[in-house]
Amino acid sequence: MRVVLGFAFTLAWALYLGGSVAMELVWRPVQRYLPPGQVNVVCQRMGRRYRWIALASLAVAGGASALVLPRSRFTLSSAYGRTAWACAACWALLALGVMTMAWLAHPALHLRHDASLSGAELAAARQRTRRAIRRMDVLLRADIAVALVAVLLTVSLRSGGLL
Amino acid sequence: MTSSAMQIFASYLHLLAVAVYVGGSVAMEFVLRPAQSYVPPSQAQVIGQRSADRFLVLVWGALALFPISGLLLFFSLSDQDSLRGMKFLTTSYGQTLLGMIVLWAVLVVNGAIITFVLRPRLARRASAPAGGAGVAERLEVMRAAANRVSLITRVDLVIAVFIVLLGASLAYGGGLL
Repeated sequence: MRVVLGFAFTLAWALYLGGSVAMELVWRPVQRYLPPGQVNVVCQRMGRRYRWIALASLAVAGGASALVLPRSRFTLSSAYGRTAWACAACWALLALGVMTMAWLAHPALHLRHDASLSGAELAAARQRTRRAIRRMDVLLRADIAVALVAVLLTVSLRSGGLL
Repeated sequence: MTSSAMQIFASYLHLLAVAVYVGGSVAMEFVLRPAQSYVPPSQAQVIGQRSADRFLVLVWGALALFPISGLLLFFSLSDQDSLRGMKFLTTSYGQTLLGMIVLWAVLVVNGAIITFVLRPRLARRASAPAGGAGVAERLEVMRAAANRVSLITRVDLVIAVFIVLLGASLAYGGGLL
């Protein structure tokens, strides 16, 4: 049972982190070579599919951790307990981040501009889209940074914790 | 560096390599690839080519990191005694580790086939001077190469997931084979 849980746990973190890294290091640079309209279409389709993979990965990682880690050692007086709680906090941050990206930040990138908008309104709408793109960039990079820390903390638990 | 710090560092590198390989392959094959069908074929080809070029760099980095971090992990765990002499072949631990190494070698061979045989076929352009039949033939070669890349990528993904299972059996048990 421990092997199966360990396998699910490792695979879930790998899917989550690897997916985010691929988005940042592969998909983002490729966007330079495409017209904005096409980027928009592909981005939207990818986002709809990827959010379920990310959420499922986090759910499995959280569930497997809850089952495999000994709850009796979750005390703030030990390095193991502090690290385990920090892992839980990172996990909660990641879950919040994915949901924010999936249902707030990502849809904001793909809002269509009404053809009847005046010049000033259109400029304002474009400005909002630019801000949404920047917000998404910041969120995705923060998400990768938190995931990297979470994986480091998780890995350190086998050696007694890092904090 | 203490043995414990080395163990954390090696495990971290090992998991990062797994994440880049497995997570990246899933994102490329099951997220980016299906999304390409929503743009015109010429743009889809640009996406496929550019993303594959970049992703292959990550794949080779991960494949190189597996043995490096694996060796670091092996020595930091002080497990050398468990593989002394013929124990590599006679114990479950040794056989599982050997299985992981063999499967890693299969991934390297498949990676080489994609990088040095199939990718160049995909990168060549269909040229007009070859005539209509030449262009059609060229497109057929490219389609066949693209299908083979996709097939090998999926086989690699299954192998990589099995390697993760073997790794988990070493970390949380005494081996699987």
